[in-house]
Amino acid sequence: MIKSIVKRDGRVVLYDASKIASAVLRCLQAAGQGDATVAANVANAVEEALEKECGNEPPQIEQIQDAVEQELMHAGMEEAAKQYILYRAERTRIREAKTSLMKSIDEITNVDARISDMKRDNANIDGNTAMGSMLQIGTAGAKAYNAAYLLTPDQARAYREGDIHIHDFDFYALTTTCCQIDLVKLFKGGFSTGHGYLREPQGIGSYAALAAIAIQSNQNDQHGGQGVPNFDYAMAQGVRKTFAKNYAGKLREALEDVLDTDDESVLTQAAIAAGTEATGEEPRLQSQAATFDAAAAQQLVKDGRLDKEKATHVVRHARHRAEKATDRATYQAMEGFVHNLNTMHSRAGAQTPFSSINYGTDTSPEGRMAIRNILMAEDAGLGHGETPIFPIHIFKVKEGVNYNPGDPNYDLFELSCKVSAKRLFPNYVFLDSPFNLQYYKPGHPETEVATMGCRTRVMSNVYDPEREIAYSRGNLSFTSINLPRLAIESHGDEKLFYEKLDAMMELVAQQLHDRYEIQASKRVYNYPFLMGQGVWLDSDKLGPNDEVREVLKHGSLSIGFIGLAETLTALYGHHHGESDEMQEKGLAIVRHMREFCDKKAAETHLNYGLLATPAEGLSGRFIRMDQKRYGKIPGVTDREYYTNSFHIPVWYPISAYDKIHKEAPYHALTNAGHISYVELDGDTANNVEAFESVVRCMHDAGIGYGSINHPVDRDPICGYVGVIGEVCPRCGRREGEALSQEKVDELRKLYPEVTTFCGCE
Amino acid sequence: MAIQTNREAKYGKDVGFERIRRITGYLVGTMDKWNDAKKAEERDRVKHGLSH
Repeated sequence: MIKSIVKRDGRVVLYDASKIASAVLRCLQAAGQGDATVAANVANAVEEALEKECGNEPPQIEQIQDAVEQELMHAGMEEAAKQYILYRAERTRIREAKTSLMKSIDEITNVDARISDMKRDNANIDGNTAMGSMLQIGTAGAKAYNAAYLLTPDQARAYREGDIHIHDFDFYALTTTCCQIDLVKLFKGGFSTGHGYLREPQGIGSYAALAAIAIQSNQNDQHGGQGVPNFDYAMAQGVRKTFAKNYAGKLREALEDVLDTDDESVLTQAAIAAGTEATGEEPRLQSQAATFDAAAAQQLVKDGRLDKEKATHVVRHARHRAEKATDRATYQAMEGFVHNLNTMHSRAGAQTPFSSINYGTDTSPEGRMAIRNILMAEDAGLGHGETPIFPIHIFKVKEGVNYNPGDPNYDLFELSCKVSAKRLFPNYVFLDSPFNLQYYKPGHPETEVATMGCRTRVMSNVYDPEREIAYSRGNLSFTSINLPRLAIESHGDEKLFYEKLDAMMELVAQQLHDRYEIQASKRVYNYPFLMGQGVWLDSDKLGPNDEVREVLKHGSLSIGFIGLAETLTALYGHHHGESDEMQEKGLAIVRHMREFCDKKAAETHLNYGLLATPAEGLSGRFIRMDQKRYGKIPGVTDREYYTNSFHIPVWYPISAYDKIHKEAPYHALTNAGHISYVELDGDTANNVEAFESVVRCMHDAGIGYGSINHPVDRDPICGYVGVIGEVCPRCGRREGEALSQEKVDELRKLYPEVTTFCGCE
Repeated sequence: MAIQTNREAKYGKDVGFERIRRITGYLVGTMDKWNDAKKAEERDRVKHGLSH
């Protein structure tokens, strides 16, 4: 007679036969055979078998489950037995997930992030802070739940075993990746952050402040980075408002000075009204300046107190001072914006918003003023001269606009090179590359390709081909394939590799679709800013309780990959940096993947695309698993990371020119996002001409998005920014060494522009 | 209890250099926060010359 059983954790509990019967009944029902009577019979048989096996000892859970399987088979219920085995496996999976969850939380709570690799999975989160840890605990819990309940067994296995990586898996059931925020549209008429209503901004200072708030608000509705596709066009409107105000203010002051009166606001208004009547617009920087000013001066003469010469003089000075004041205000606004984005918090304080701003093509005087000042603010750096981490600056390069000498914004392109050579930003997006140029319509900045986050790009639109635009769209989710593993397991058999690749892409495409279904069932009220404020395309047509299903179709579903170089080495013996033959093989693989994505997009009318995955946490995850499985295969699994996407391996010596030309053709194929890097030494980067020649090489080679890496070091003690080897060239200290009081006093005299010597005040 | 004045302050003791690098499209202000694999990758990066 069985009275008790032993649970997995060793606890002894009372035996309950009805639990066995109900588990059996569930399996019978799932298999479509038998009923409650049969279930009771099976449960009785199990009990008898256990009595025989265990005697007076209480049976273990595993013994009971084995007995149930056997008795179902004995009773000829094979289908139900199969169901029971699946049920058991599922329970095991959930149990293991719970155990590993507790281990993860333990590590997050108690281990220093400098020791715990898990806590440095994303370098933008400080795992040592309270809010950072809370975010990571939430992440661990969500991942365990999602893996146990939301993936099919196939998907769960592929993810768990490292065939694929589901990015931002913690947010699987919650939200989408990223969005390009159209600030021009958002600011019109004002907007609400969900915590308060903001009126339409009326000057460049509030334009810049609200831009930061918009990025912060949207960051809390999505798990990826936020972009602004039209930073220059949006800020230009603020500059315009500020200039109009300054023009009126300076004119009034000048009149009051000249006439020695207290209040000339009536006369000022009359003069501005006359100018506006003559030009059809408020006072503007440069635009119709002569006509406006002449009409304004004429109006002043009519007043009778000033002659023509004096009136013209007053107006000219007012304009000049208004220009200077506006330029100054714009610089301060841009400086404040950069400071804000490096200090303001999102996600319960755990992260600064991951922000990107795109600019460079607005040729209006106001747009140019905004571009010049954001570049100068980036150049100046933060309060102690630190290089700003955010936002990512992206300069849009376009022939006829800013690429060649004589183009209206060529001076700003040159300035951008100077700034990037010092601060690593801007990066460059090349609108002339054929796969970007195909969307470009002059006078329609929404058709200019923009990037966000680490490299995301959304342009084509199979759901709504009329709107192939960058604005108000973004990525829904992305999943990456472990390409080197497919190659290793194909043992040099190219045909087998492609078969495996097709099967894996099918699995990923289905998983992305399943995730879309979860996302699509959310409502507008789940995303108070992104959807509630009409940031996402067409969301302004929805009510607060509507599903976001249809409008989400403007977004992209991306299939990513890592390690093309290791894949080629595993399959053919060497990688695409080493021979043109391998370059062809590499392109064939990536082209094949792109064709698969295009086919899926055509079938489903969802924007499937191919992504050159950023791979931060992923860079080590796959290869660690593959080393365990296959050992260290030379050139494939013998390092600590797989090479990023289609890149030439970072350790492989190659000229900048060759690297750019090898990687450019892959940009044409990876329509969901890509980036190429060139690494320059410090001296070359300091040579702006050399720097610009690399950017031009990228443009001419057909790169989509690129940037130039060079060492940017800083000694926080003396404020030196540049390349620092072992010893700081300014103050002569080594890392961690102290400076004497005398030395600090001497440095203060030599470098009065360094406001504080960090740690000294 | 007297508060000890900091006359003997050693400026910069245990303060390291900041080394800003691009991690995977964005910048990180210090290498401390990088995961082990990305640290290894950064260490292995070679410079690209400008001659063809």
